[in-house]
Amino acid sequence: MKKYNYILLTLFVCLTACRKLDIPPKNIIQDPDVFSTPAGIQAYMARIYSELPIEDFRYSPQRGLNFFWIISPTPATTGEAISRDQTSSMQEAFGSWSWDIWGGSYTTIRDCDYFIQTLPSYASNFSTAQVNAWLGEAYFVRGMTYFGLVKRFGGVPIVNKTLNYTVGTSTDELQIPRSSEQAVWDQVASDFDFAIANLPAVNTDEADGSRANKYVAAAFESRAMLYAGTIAKYNTTTLFDGQKNQLCGIPSSAANGYFLKAYNAAKTLDGVYSLYLKSWSATDKTAQYQNFVNLFSDAGSSESVFVREYQYPNSVHGYDAYNVPRQLIGPNGYSSEVNPTLDFVEMFDGIPKNSNGTIQNLDASGHYLLFTNTMDLFANAEPRLRATVILPGDAFKGQNIDIQRAIYTGPSAGGISPLLPAGSRSQYPLTNLVVSATASQTAYKLPDGTLMNPAGLSGIFTGDQTCAISGFSVRKWLNPNLPTAQVLENNETQTWIEMRYAEVLLNRAEAAFELNSAGQSGATNYSQDAFTIINEIRSRAGATLLTSAGSMTIDTVRIERRKELAFENKTYWDLKRWRTFSKEQNGTIYRILMPFYSAQAGKYFFDARTDERNDVYTYDPRWYYEQIPQGAISKSPNLVQNPGY
Amino acid sequence: MKKLFYYTAFCLAVIAGNSCSKIDNYPAPSDTINGSTIDEGTGATVQTEIGGGGTRVKLLEISYSANPTPEYFQSMQDGTFNDDKIFAATYKVSVEGPFVPLVTTDNTGTVTADSSQTIKLTSKATLNFKVQPFLRVEWVGKPVFNADSTVTVQVKITRGTSNPNYQQDITDINLYVSNTQYDGNNNYDPRYSKLVSYGGSTGTALLGQVITITTTGGAMPAQDVYFRVGARINAGLDEYNYNAPMSAKYP
Repeated sequence: MKKYNYILLTLFVCLTACRKLDIPPKNIIQDPDVFSTPAGIQAYMARIYSELPIEDFRYSPQRGLNFFWIISPTPATTGEAISRDQTSSMQEAFGSWSWDIWGGSYTTIRDCDYFIQTLPSYASNFSTAQVNAWLGEAYFVRGMTYFGLVKRFGGVPIVNKTLNYTVGTSTDELQIPRSSEQAVWDQVASDFDFAIANLPAVNTDEADGSRANKYVAAAFESRAMLYAGTIAKYNTTTLFDGQKNQLCGIPSSAANGYFLKAYNAAKTLDGVYSLYLKSWSATDKTAQYQNFVNLFSDAGSSESVFVREYQYPNSVHGYDAYNVPRQLIGPNGYSSEVNPTLDFVEMFDGIPKNSNGTIQNLDASGHYLLFTNTMDLFANAEPRLRATVILPGDAFKGQNIDIQRAIYTGPSAGGISPLLPAGSRSQYPLTNLVVSATASQTAYKLPDGTLMNPAGLSGIFTGDQTCAISGFSVRKWLNPNLPTAQVLENNETQTWIEMRYAEVLLNRAEAAFELNSAGQSGATNYSQDAFTIINEIRSRAGATLLTSAGSMTIDTVRIERRKELAFENKTYWDLKRWRTFSKEQNGTIYRILMPFYSAQAGKYFFDARTDERNDVYTYDPRWYYEQIPQGAISKSPNLVQNPGY
Repeated sequence: MKKLFYYTAFCLAVIAGNSCSKIDNYPAPSDTINGSTIDEGTGATVQTEIGGGGTRVKLLEISYSANPTPEYFQSMQDGTFNDDKIFAATYKVSVEGPFVPLVTTDNTGTVTADSSQTIKLTSKATLNFKVQPFLRVEWVGKPVFNADSTVTVQVKITRGTSNPNYQQDITDINLYVSNTQYDGNNNYDPRYSKLVSYGGSTGTALLGQVITITTTGGAMPAQDVYFRVGARINAGLDEYNYNAPMSAKYP
């Protein structure tokens, strides 16, 4: 009898216990939780937007995307600036990135694919307009992610549906080979086209530019298609796989088609966004300067197309901490990471220049020109330059930013001859110079009895590069209202403007110029259109206007772009796609401008020379196509490596 | 209890002893591929630079796959190469560098020429690749110290190939100065090296002529240094062709 009891008990336990095991786990969020409410969708969106591969305040080629520590800043790889922590050309160092560019991008693409596949089955919970808009956003994010891959690697695998692996089966089907570079650019275009067709004019969830609307997608399409067009036109590296897919390079015959797409996409923003002119005045250079400064901080700017917002303490950056001039150094230390080069400053108007375009710092007899104040040399400088670069002696946060290399004690009667022969890369001879090794300075007694520090408060020190080593400090993006005690890493929340209307206009101008020079003609006169745009940009900047469309060259358009978009992490990609990186950085030592004070003359003079550290920049042409991470090839041997790696 | 302990200890000892008996059942790679990249016109090896930017040897191990992931090793500066840590297998071997590629494709990806060598490697293989360098850089005389302690060198540059696809203009002719013989575009003293870029056909017009280059930056320091001239055209990966490094005695 007892035996039967046990059997019954066993049966009872087995039968009842198994009754409800096959239920969705309660502790894992399921599709219905996410796809049934706008809040669920918003959470999904927050994730895929946060993974957008945009080069913002938290990007550097050395440490990658979405990383706080920006001490090898992007501008110090492009010739816009020099930095104590970045001393040569570089390709992106994927091996030291915390976010895996390959695996991370494909995770984002999968997230988008999953969203695109799943949302339609939950469409009954929402209006058609909502569903279309969200699908448009998923396509937009996927297009952006392919864009981030193709601009680095050329052709990459196109994966437009989620892949599912069954344990125990072969992984061959998952090892998708690279598509041709052209196919990936076309994929980017088609994702953006879908987004443009499905997104509303104003994003109904977030209208502040932090989420896409149809014009955002069009703006990025103009950027992407311009990249594709220039690569088709200027690239010389080619790579085919065994099936004759062109993994690197695009047939040059495709260039005009891409330029036309870039042009048309840019044109759709016409009249929707505009150049920021809130405090601009045609006659007042100070107003033009202030207007250009405000453009980067005014949340209501009509120029901001797409932005990334930060919020303390969840999502923060440390731009000011790394980049304020030395005399405004925050409690963390750092400061002065980005020091604009003289080569960059000389691109701007309003500076006295020699016939070869270099800054004029010598008089006709070869002696230094003397100035009462360091800013006198820049008295007529283009307002955009002042809003981009802190010039020696200019005002910031209520202080004059004091940049001085040394006190010159030699004779000044009859003029001061250059300290070094023209073009010399040697150190300054120390006879007749009083320098300071660090920021703790010993004042020098001038002939009139007053005391003066040998170096400025913001440098230049001979033994400590935490200072304005080029003679300039960066101005763009710095927050003038941030108290020095708050100039800290991981503490700042200025908005990053990833796409502003000025770039859309410049995309359009470049595409138009390229179309015109390829002999294309459209409903509009391309040359005239490019000319009008460049002058719009120049007029807002307070720069000298172009006189005629015929005087433009491709360099006119490119240099305008580099000036306007400087320090916005765009030049790196422009030099890459123009394939001019290896020409500009070809054994190059960048130039700097050193202000000196002559004790006897009681005036300042400037010496223009090459970087005192003799840091040589040589860009390897292999880097136009980055190395596909070795780990990705190990996982999927169908991936063909790019040439030269 | 004690018995159980001994049983357990014995079992552990057997497991531990067995697991250690197989360290690695494959011998280390020990076969050798050596050889050189030879200028088909002159018979001399093709000079290159060390450190990743110059000539390298490409190995395709085709014994297990028709489409394997390539392996590479770097050539030495003088154009010879030697790797004695290679597994015995069947390889398709070629070299890549500043010369007409051994494997060429047309603009649709069709392979038009392939002078790779396929070898079944057992212990050692010596491979010589006859190539056409983009440019030949030859010394004319020796580096000469001038009165102001700068140094002047003379070179002659000619084309090493008549292949119509590699007749691009010369973009750079550089005199590199270094205190080691490993002198080249990736290793030179920027204070004295003279780098000149050419636009259009101005560089190309110097072909076949004696080119005189003087160091920059004033007097050379009192030490033995090496000189080398590199030149390149905008083809392939824009690598330089060099002459052999030469030193000059400080007077």
